[in-house]
Amino acid sequence: MTIIVPSGTGNVYAGSGTIQHPSWSPYDENGGTCVAVSGNDYCVVASSNRLSTGFSILTRDESKIIKMSHKCVIATANCQADRKTLQKTLQTRHIMYMHNHGKPMSVAAMAQLVSNTLYYKRFFPYYTYNLVCGLDEEGKGAVYTYDPVGSYERTGYSCEGTGKDLIQPVLDNQLKASSPLVLPAENWMTALPMDDAVDLVKDAFVSAGERDIYTGDVVELLIITKDGVRTEHLDLKKD
Amino acid sequence: MDRMDLSCLESAPRSRAAELCPADLMSQSVSGSSFPLPQVQDMDAFQRDAMAYIKPNHGTTTLGFIFEHGVIVAVDSRASSGTYISSQTVKKVIEINPFLLGTMAGGAADCQFWQRNLGMRCRLYELNNNRRISVRAASKLLANTMFSYKGMGLSMGTMIAGYDPTGPALWYVDSDGQRTSGKVFSVGSGSLYAYGVLDNGYKWDMAVEDAIELGQRSIYHATFRDAVSGGTVSVYHVTKDGWTKVRGVDVGQLHYKYYPECDLHPCHGKPPI
Amino acid sequence: MSIFEYNGAAIIAMAGKNCVAIGSDLRFGVQFQTLATDYQKIYKIHDHLYLGLAGLGTDAQTLSQRFVFKHNLYKLREERNIKPSTFGEMVSSTLYEKRFGPYFCSPVIAGLEEAKDGTWQPYLCGMDTIGAIEKAHDFMVAGTAPDSLSGMCESTWKPDMEPDELFETLSQCLLSGVDRDALSGWGGIVNVITKDQVITRTLKGRMD
Repeated sequence: MTIIVPSGTGNVYAGSGTIQHPSWSPYDENGGTCVAVSGNDYCVVASSNRLSTGFSILTRDESKIIKMSHKCVIATANCQADRKTLQKTLQTRHIMYMHNHGKPMSVAAMAQLVSNTLYYKRFFPYYTYNLVCGLDEEGKGAVYTYDPVGSYERTGYSCEGTGKDLIQPVLDNQLKASSPLVLPAENWMTALPMDDAVDLVKDAFVSAGERDIYTGDVVELLIITKDGVRTEHLDLKKD
Repeated sequence: MDRMDLSCLESAPRSRAAELCPADLMSQSVSGSSFPLPQVQDMDAFQRDAMAYIKPNHGTTTLGFIFEHGVIVAVDSRASSGTYISSQTVKKVIEINPFLLGTMAGGAADCQFWQRNLGMRCRLYELNNNRRISVRAASKLLANTMFSYKGMGLSMGTMIAGYDPTGPALWYVDSDGQRTSGKVFSVGSGSLYAYGVLDNGYKWDMAVEDAIELGQRSIYHATFRDAVSGGTVSVYHVTKDGWTKVRGVDVGQLHYKYYPECDLHPCHGKPPI
Repeated sequence: MSIFEYNGAAIIAMAGKNCVAIGSDLRFGVQFQTLATDYQKIYKIHDHLYLGLAGLGTDAQTLSQRFVFKHNLYKLREERNIKPSTFGEMVSSTLYEKRFGPYFCSPVIAGLEEAKDGTWQPYLCGMDTIGAIEKAHDFMVAGTAPDSLSGMCESTWKPDMEPDELFETLSQCLLSGVDRDALSGWGGIVNVITKDQVITRTLKGRMD
């Protein structure tokens, strides 16, 4: 849906330096759902490839996940323009990092970079929902979940985008473990075998595809293990 | 007649608002330039509209109080955007350094970012001056930052708690630039419920264990009554040796610890069918 | 904040094999303030027919009383209980009477109806505020977090569940669904309706 942000009706004066328009809509909602589930030695990241605006489908084949390294990917839902800019910025920063340090960024570092990059646009936010996923320094699966202005948290699993309301309770139901804040500390991650996690993610998308008009066509799944990133595709309904 | 130059008191025009970001501060935290602003005249309206679409996560019930044996800080852990609960496991106590804690209410990103920034500046102070920063100074650093962004739509209600050579300290700092020290504070949408329990049970010379329990109970009651507070209650205790986390209890279990039987609770007027 | 979100509610109805279940949360609140945790949003019309009303509490109470009144008159005239499908139409027309100043309620109707072969088949339907009936063969949800609830139902519902399994499935959907909604929860109640009995159980949930 196109969003109209009115620019106010103040007087135009010479040299004010402010660009005047009758109305200005910097944001578009392009939909899309991203899901990530991590385990002891893997991380499954999935997103639907449909790109929409309003009630129309723009394309059925737009990947929303970028691979930063063989241990880290970023999935981004919603406003495509902001996603492209954000992912390009991050990729540039990551290449610079690799030149400086001679190694790819860890997921934890990438997570902080994404947070800062989002917050840097605090007064004119990127309208994106992000998941940073991969394997941490110990080789464990890691999922970082964000709000559009960069508040973030590490979790075991997460879902963002238009299908969030539909999928997140299902993931909670299947995967929720003790809170990481509990004292004495308890295990806060339900570690599924990898194949079960892949099946769960696929099932979640099939269900969401029934109810969410912005989720459909095809799901791209990236499965991150110590051997690298493997891609799978799952066809959804095209209606 | 001569007039005093009061221009320093005037707020900067909107179009120059970008200059408000201290350049040296930003270069250390984000990519070397200041926050870009949308090209609009009415920044306030733009911020309001943008936030309505983006629905950033909001934090909720936090409290802190000073008593004979130090400072207690207690918080919930829920983040919601609108009526959707986006997380039940948010860490709302930000551990700035081993002697300083910050709490988080308001915009989650605003709190996280600026308190991380504060942590960095407190560390720099330590390296420059060879001693730890006082709580008073740390809170003022944050308050000054907040004041420089006044009117830009930041949302943050925080308590800076800590221990320094002058003793225990607790400061309230918010995004309007307000900064006050006090003995008892509670911040967030559930704060009124927490105050009810807290004021009722507070005594200067209470035992440490009682103070911890009071903090926990106050947060619990706030999570019960307030829809946008919940998750896990975390309690911290700050002494001259620094802070320790003393409690972390899931509210899902805590309720049934306080009220093992449903009809014991005042909200249960009639027995279930 | 929308008027539908003033009090908060979560209602699920689900069909099983010769049985049907309907459950709701127990919170009654005013915006973000919780006032009571024993407030049911489900009203019994007769042994085989339950009505769930989500939305504005005051309208839900008014409506439920009107429906009980109408059903009493129906029983006096017809000397039998109303069929769920007939009741559905009656709810629909009652809501449409207020087409230009609607009750701020979305009803969910769950009942058992005797089929021609003598078996009791589930009848499920939901409605918008002005009475557009939407029949369902699987499940129906209403409240302040319909997406959370239907997401759960969509992935856990399967055909021909027996009463016990139906209860378990509906409970899981309700509890997991409301845990992502700030305005509903604080325990739940589930009614499983079979030909011979109605089994009502209260659920312990998170109280935050």
